[in-house]
Amino acid sequence: MNQGSKSKRLRSYPPKDRWNDWRELDSKSWPERVERRYSLIPTGCFNCESSCGLLAYIDKDTGLIRKFEGNPEHPGSRGRNCAKGPASKNQVEDPDRILFPLRRVGARGAGEWQRTTWDEALDEIAARIRKAIQEERRQEIMYHVGRPGEDGYTERVLAAWGIDGHNSHTNICSSGARAGYAFWMGYDRPSPDHANAKVIFLVSAHLESGHYFNPHAQRIIEAKQNGAKVIVLDVRLSNTATHADHWLSPYPGSEPAIHLAIARHLIHEKLYDREFVRQWWNWSEYLASEHPGETRDFETFERILAELYDGCTFDWASSESGVDAETLREVADIVASAGNQLSTHNWRSASSGVSHGWQVARTLFFLNALMGAIGVPGGTYPNSWNKFVAAPIHRPPHPDHWNELTWPQEFPLSFHELSFLLPHLVGEERGCIDTYFTRVYNPVWTNPDGFSWIDMLRDEKRIGCHVALTPTWNETAYFADFVLPMGLGNERHDIYSYETHDAQWIGFRQPVMRAYAEREGRKVSDTREVNPGEVWEENEFWIELSWRIDPDGSMGIRKWFESKKEPGTKLTVDEYYGWMFENSVPGLPERAASEGLTPLEFMRRYGAFEVERKVSTVYAETVQASELDDVAEGPHGRVYTRAEKPHGANIVPLPSPPGDAAGRRPVGIRVDGEVKRGFPTPSGKLEFWSPILAEWGWGEMAIPGYPRSHVHPDNLEPGQIPLIPTFRLPVQIHTRSANSKWLDEIAHTNPLWIHPREARALGDLRTGDLVRVETEIGHFVVRAWVTEGIRPGVVACSHHMGRWKLEGQDGQRQLMATVELTSEGSRMRLRRLQGAHPWRSSDPDTERVFWSDVGVHQNLTFPVHPDPISGMHCWHQAVRVTRAKPDDHYGDISVDLVKSKAVFEKWLGDCRSARSVSPDGTRRPYTLLRPLKPTPAAYRLPDRS
Amino acid sequence: MPDIQPGSASSTRWAKLLDHTRCIGCHACSTACKSENEVPLGVHRTYVKQVDVGTFPHARRAFQVTRCNQCEQPPCVDACPTAAMHKRPDGIVDFDKSICIGCKACIASCPYDAIFINPYDGNAEKCNFCAHRIDQGMEPACVVVCPTNAIHVGDLSDPVDPVTRSVHRDPVTVRRPEKDTRPKVYYKGAHQATLDPLAAKRPEGGLFMWGEQGPVNSALSGHPDTPNSSAAAVLAWDIPHRAPWDARVSLYTWTKSLAAGIWLVAAMFVLFGALATDSSTWRWTVPVLSGVWLAATGGLLIWDLKRPERFWMIFAKPQWKSWLVRGAFIIAGFSAILGLHVLASLLQSNNMSRVLAWIGIPLAVMTAVYTAFLFAQAKARDLWQSPLLPPLLLVQAVLAGSAGLLPFVSDAEIAQGAGVSVVTVLRWTLAAACAAQLLLTVGEVTLTHSTAHAKLATHEMVQGRFRMFFWAGVILVGFGLFAPIAPVEYGALLGLLAFEHAYVQAGQSVPLA
Repeated sequence: MNQGSKSKRLRSYPPKDRWNDWRELDSKSWPERVERRYSLIPTGCFNCESSCGLLAYIDKDTGLIRKFEGNPEHPGSRGRNCAKGPASKNQVEDPDRILFPLRRVGARGAGEWQRTTWDEALDEIAARIRKAIQEERRQEIMYHVGRPGEDGYTERVLAAWGIDGHNSHTNICSSGARAGYAFWMGYDRPSPDHANAKVIFLVSAHLESGHYFNPHAQRIIEAKQNGAKVIVLDVRLSNTATHADHWLSPYPGSEPAIHLAIARHLIHEKLYDREFVRQWWNWSEYLASEHPGETRDFETFERILAELYDGCTFDWASSESGVDAETLREVADIVASAGNQLSTHNWRSASSGVSHGWQVARTLFFLNALMGAIGVPGGTYPNSWNKFVAAPIHRPPHPDHWNELTWPQEFPLSFHELSFLLPHLVGEERGCIDTYFTRVYNPVWTNPDGFSWIDMLRDEKRIGCHVALTPTWNETAYFADFVLPMGLGNERHDIYSYETHDAQWIGFRQPVMRAYAEREGRKVSDTREVNPGEVWEENEFWIELSWRIDPDGSMGIRKWFESKKEPGTKLTVDEYYGWMFENSVPGLPERAASEGLTPLEFMRRYGAFEVERKVSTVYAETVQASELDDVAEGPHGRVYTRAEKPHGANIVPLPSPPGDAAGRRPVGIRVDGEVKRGFPTPSGKLEFWSPILAEWGWGEMAIPGYPRSHVHPDNLEPGQIPLIPTFRLPVQIHTRSANSKWLDEIAHTNPLWIHPREARALGDLRTGDLVRVETEIGHFVVRAWVTEGIRPGVVACSHHMGRWKLEGQDGQRQLMATVELTSEGSRMRLRRLQGAHPWRSSDPDTERVFWSDVGVHQNLTFPVHPDPISGMHCWHQAVRVTRAKPDDHYGDISVDLVKSKAVFEKWLGDCRSARSVSPDGTRRPYTLLRPLKPTPAAYRLPDRS
Repeated sequence: MPDIQPGSASSTRWAKLLDHTRCIGCHACSTACKSENEVPLGVHRTYVKQVDVGTFPHARRAFQVTRCNQCEQPPCVDACPTAAMHKRPDGIVDFDKSICIGCKACIASCPYDAIFINPYDGNAEKCNFCAHRIDQGMEPACVVVCPTNAIHVGDLSDPVDPVTRSVHRDPVTVRRPEKDTRPKVYYKGAHQATLDPLAAKRPEGGLFMWGEQGPVNSALSGHPDTPNSSAAAVLAWDIPHRAPWDARVSLYTWTKSLAAGIWLVAAMFVLFGALATDSSTWRWTVPVLSGVWLAATGGLLIWDLKRPERFWMIFAKPQWKSWLVRGAFIIAGFSAILGLHVLASLLQSNNMSRVLAWIGIPLAVMTAVYTAFLFAQAKARDLWQSPLLPPLLLVQAVLAGSAGLLPFVSDAEIAQGAGVSVVTVLRWTLAAACAAQLLLTVGEVTLTHSTAHAKLATHEMVQGRFRMFFWAGVILVGFGLFAPIAPVEYGALLGLLAFEHAYVQAGQSVPLA
């Protein structure tokens, strides 16, 4: 009998050799066989940070994008996507998108706009910036970005201008996790190798959340099918938790207690990798510093280690977390069974929720460090090993000054800019801003304390000119002077690389209509020629703006935006990327040549390139003799050299640990006689004890520990419970997906998750009933979702909803409520006038909008909570939940700005300023990663005079 | 074109495996399908239903990729009057929008509620396995997009196809096998809480965990009161389904009862000698009245079509298993009788008239009763699966016929041989029909229901969303018992209409997905 398959092999993707002329049957005409001809152009999804590969199907007859499918050439996403990939089409066709440059007329925020030209906008903005630079007010230019499209592009623009003006969204997102990882290994991000893991331990929801949703979900499920165990810590029932062998819902902020109890179990039962710990931890330095009286050998350290965590029993962790001790023991045994195939991941989630939340990541990585599950297959890698950043055509030097508005002295260890404090810092008159760019960033809606942002943005003395670079209307853009339409993911250029798995790859986001036009033989020199309306892309915008700031090159700015081929002429994006792909990506020119293509043509055709697969265990590599010149060795084996750093193609930013007193650079670490590469930490090893924390005033936090958080029961007032306001919905992405009808019809509101026990206590509260949630500074009114999917005694509310537009303003009607904004003294209020509703547009679907509820904008009622170490905004709130009062309406929001300022000041009081703790007169340890790191001289604290 | 492998020329039997041990509930399939097939807002060919099961801290979320089940014995194909809905030789249940008349019989018949009317073209559509891609050798859009490879397409006729192997080796299940549809969409690792549309509790407040429940008059998954599952299970996310047949269909059953009943009652009277063949009542009143109501019935039927201009296709492209087709021909036959009746009256031919009565009675009965078979073709509308339905419809015809004739018959008309007026006989007939109607109704609602669906439908009819109509019907028909002594015929007719509406709508109120 024939055992072979006789079924037709179905293909997932059109064969690559037919991407130029792919013919496909039309689904609408079916069953009549109508053939359509497509050109398939790759690009990168821009709906979350995973940047999965997309293939745009451009109909050759209509010249329009018919659909987006996955790009099989993309090593991270491997041709697959989440709901947001196909829905990119909605965003292109969104009838509410902004198509032309606009400038404000009337008062800022009053809602009157006038169409302007790019020329007028560019000239006016360039003049402001030129004046500020010439008047030495460089710190008054700020670029505030949410989702960077390309690694380093805009940082280099700012560097070329000579300004320390980069501001990011990091501190409302990942500072906690970054700090936790960085204090262990220097690198501030993890790259879990889920596919090869035996045990996957997630303190997050990576089957549905970014960093990196689809790529990670593929590999987590793959591992699970191969028998891996999955452990998920999440207070609420996520789609990820539902796939866990053990879902633990800890009391928020108690996650470190669980990690420490598992660590204690590993230590006490001697289940950890002793050899790894002996070789790669900085225990010797720890003993020398903290236990100088003890013998400095590993056995002593092991004894002290056991003593340190002796109190972290399962019962103790159980009493802190509410998770029963027996379950914790089971989980600990599963972790122990992993060997070094333990992939752990924390990003956002718990580490972004509570004060000292960075200890969530630090104590989680403690488990990897104990098991030796670092940089090995199935373990967790540092992100930098699984990421490739290609050197660009120009690399301007970094600025030589320091911006105190983004990097205030109170936070010498922050990761990174204290972005969300801006209104308060400006309010304290620490500085003002002349020209403020917001880009894929919507601080009024996304950040805590949005009313303070509105208050600041309305004030032309504090913000001279606000330029919103955005494809769509958002709450912040309403308070802009210029609204400049920028392209969506398929209307812009970016090169990017993410640590989705154990490999290094680059992806190329490109304006697909431009690539299509060129493929069809039409020359395009400006992306505006092919984008809808006058929509542009940032890369060309920044080049043009820089030329207008320095038209004759006298300021030394223009040269960074000039062609290399034809000096004195404007750099084009074709040359920019062509140069990069030819000169900075190992293997790409050869690969392209093998297909008879230039590197740029190759990337335009395939959209991605894998630079390396299976990165080795970098820390254990032996340092080559050529790198060892006039070496010196520190007391704990740190090896320094005078040899030049060898040229590496990958320019991914790395920590820069200090050299020795004689000016040598650190090159490795001596382990059992051999000089190994080690980690980019001061000690060269994994830092169980962080010398940085110890030296910068936080000695009591230098080892992994469990500080009680700001929502620990001890810190709550009677009647308060924690609110978890940070979880994502699988089909939405912050402020960027409201313009996608297919996503909006699936998810459009954010009720308050509340356990039946709490609901009973509120007098038989039912799903749909209105509740009032009171924070420290105000309240919001929302509907209840009574569910078993949340820990009793905790409430939760997704942050993805509650978009609004002011009356009379344009906006995304399918997911924005129309609201009335009022002020009365220090109190600001938002009241919902109308929810979403059907309307007539170019898209008949807009008449079929069936929902009106678009959720509640809870973030407005949150005061700022800057963590004193990481600078993370600690999102969780201590709240009181009651039934709504008689005058309460759904969506009501009320905040007292005086209270909001008081909370800011209270948290600032917990900081330990560089001024008082800096061991060397600098503002910040130079080794720590920092976007657009200024010159070392700028690190010096100014004289107190 | 290269790659084309028409499904018609193969022994292939396409099947799908939905692996819920892999599904992460991300809805990539939902939007990829919308994109591939240009599906309008508010309707879905596929989506992911979600049910939260269990109590803290052991709760979990169960997913169900919900779509057409590609039945081996597809009820939608049997119910389609024009064969627009058809099964291809390779097993794919496909549809042809060029001959769809928008009658919604396929929607009513689908035990999975997987079909909808496209609001822009008025035609029925559903998941068709992306047949246009399959025929080109490409996987369906949902298969390609799925991040976790949870959706697989394979050939059941190939024993080593991975899908066939999984279907044969793994503990897979199908939805609602008791509906005798033999689905070719297999679920691996799916939870009973999602597979059974009544297993979970439907949340209150019109809300899901991140969306509104949609229009209140739609059929939403989940049970409003006592779910089928004894485990804690709450519907966390779903889409609303519209009932296919609205008040026009309720009204059609009523006008049809009048049309068939008036003629039937009169013809019986003629045969039993209670009405003279040469009376003006028989000659003119009866055929004209019946004809008017029959015209109204036809009008309603066409009005209810989403492609009314295509109603002729029922006759031009009949698919004979469809009771809509059979019914249309029955109605056509009955209209022919009415036409001949008028002709006989014009010719003043009593013999012809008497012969017509003999021939016409079976057609009138079939006109009254065929709707029971039409409704029964809606396989998963359990309320309508009652064997009492044919007699009930016949009783309703008699009720409507006697009540409908009464106002047009003069007191002076004496029933031959009985010595009483025709009106008196009609009044007693009406009272008897009302009694029978009430008896059958009592039987219908009080007998133990064979399924949870029938029970829920009855509950919705008697105590739920349609109770006002139901009780109005019972009370007004109850008054009909007093027909011999009081003028209650209008009330009885209204009562019948109210009852019909409750019955037709309650039958569609139970969620099937």
